[in-house]
Amino acid sequence: MLTIALPKGRLADQTLDLMEKAGYDVSAARDKSRKLILEDKDAGLRFILSKPSDVPTYVEYGAADIGVVGKDTLLEEGRQLYEVLDLGLGKCRMCVAGPAELKDKLDEIPNKRVGTKYPNITRSYFEGVKGESVEIIKLNGSVELAPLTGLAEVIVDIVESGRTLYENGLDVLETVAHISARLVVNRVSMKMKEDEIKPMIAKMKKILAEEQEEA
Amino acid sequence: MGNKYYTPDGFNDQFPGICGFKRELESKLRNLFLLNGYEEIETPGVEYFDVYKEFVPEESLFKFTDSKGSLLCNRYDGTIPAVRFCAGRNETLPARYSYIENMYRAGKQGGGKLSGFTQGGIELLGASGAKSDAEVLAIAIKSALEIGITDLQVSIGQVKFYKGLMKQLGIGEEEQAKIKTAIANRDTVTLEKLDISKEDKETLQMLTESGGTYDAIEQIAPRITDEGAKEALDNLKEILDIMERYGFLKYVSVDLGLIESSDYYTGMVFKGYTYEVGFPILAGGRYDDVAKSFGKEIEAVGFSISLTLSITALMRQEKYIPAKAAAVIVGGDFEAATVAAEALRAEGTAAIIDTTGMDEEALENYAKEKGIETVMYMNGGNA
Repeated sequence: MLTIALPKGRLADQTLDLMEKAGYDVSAARDKSRKLILEDKDAGLRFILSKPSDVPTYVEYGAADIGVVGKDTLLEEGRQLYEVLDLGLGKCRMCVAGPAELKDKLDEIPNKRVGTKYPNITRSYFEGVKGESVEIIKLNGSVELAPLTGLAEVIVDIVESGRTLYENGLDVLETVAHISARLVVNRVSMKMKEDEIKPMIAKMKKILAEEQEEA
Repeated sequence: MGNKYYTPDGFNDQFPGICGFKRELESKLRNLFLLNGYEEIETPGVEYFDVYKEFVPEESLFKFTDSKGSLLCNRYDGTIPAVRFCAGRNETLPARYSYIENMYRAGKQGGGKLSGFTQGGIELLGASGAKSDAEVLAIAIKSALEIGITDLQVSIGQVKFYKGLMKQLGIGEEEQAKIKTAIANRDTVTLEKLDISKEDKETLQMLTESGGTYDAIEQIAPRITDEGAKEALDNLKEILDIMERYGFLKYVSVDLGLIESSDYYTGMVFKGYTYEVGFPILAGGRYDDVAKSFGKEIEAVGFSISLTLSITALMRQEKYIPAKAAAVIVGGDFEAATVAAEALRAEGTAAIIDTTGMDEEALENYAKEKGIETVMYMNGGNA
């Protein structure tokens, strides 16, 4: 029996599509009830649906063997996991954004205040990559408000289409990292349930390669 | 004082049934260690910060000062104090030490691992080579089996192999750090993007595909030209040979990507896993350079098993038998009860005397609550 933690929402459906193409019976997980654990004994699969940012926790503790999680969450939390496959889903960028007039002038502001939901990514980018100290202001949502209200000069956040930014007079200033969903595996499960997990990775990898060729 | 009745984050009380069970496991381990000639040592649990500072991230140590203002910390592991101890004595080597003690690790341990937990382990100091490596690995496997962890998988790797391979591929230090993380995380995406030849990429990918024993070594061996890496593979082969003689080959698999462990390892490394816990329950390896920090050259190898994680695993695998308070409770006439209880104890049966004067019914109820099998109620003088 393999336990798979999926992030509630579109990414869960996309992952199930992929597993289906790889030859797994995932009908149990398609159940649209409010059940949080969906089990199919015959297929040897159990799905748990959790908040996206909790998926790595379930997998790291071993409560789930496998999970699907955005690279942003992995970078932010630095969990002890095997990160075995780029699913190519949920693609976006982690960016430094701010007022458009700051473009190419970001380095001129000393002691920047940075608003973000991702304090660790922000710190390692500014300290590690750019070699400067910044003041990080942790926010929980609508991060775009920070530069608009003067709470911070810039923000570090996920950018998909960039619409929210543009509509608020903000722009992408720098790209921190490219983000997509990853298949992660608990380090013990990889050893103890090798016979189930390795073929699953191989099959999904094959489907992804085929899809890439078609595209 | 709102926290008066609670333990600090990351620290647990051991309830009597579990504590008794744990002590039984501890004595099994202790016997095993002694049978193999590993003398038990006890270190104070408090060390100078300087002892650890080269080996453990500062934020992972519980720190405080003594009356002179020296910075102290709690014992983080069994290995570093054992090496300190050995380096400070003029002992004939090899020395074989064992310990069963509580370890203290500050900060987020990740994944429900506690800050205070118990480890048992051994250190073989002043001995190099595969035979010594294999001795420690064999005792590690025996330890798990001895305490009832029979679903066991041990992965063995070689730090020297990885270092040699990096040299062979001519990879710079900065790139190495990236590759190390990628291999530790089995992150083939990052490895795929590296700016090296296709063949070298394939070689690195092989490190992410753990599993197998001799076949894993044979598969990668033809690609290896670095002498150090070759020696590392020979070392693993010899260890596998010895494991086969113990009949332990079924527990062991080779994992050349096993490099995420502590940086102080210099040769063979291993981790042991079982079902129902998300973390390795045991870990060990060769650490020839640690003693240099204490001014000595002592080649060494050791391992430790977490009793705390092992007990969690045994409970979830339904192999946990709670320890009982006692087999018998004796009540009624106090004098007669005392005589009877002492007779039982002399035979080695744990017996409780009721000192509160319960009547027969109350005594029965009490025994039931406490899981005491036998109740003896003594009638005045003629029981």
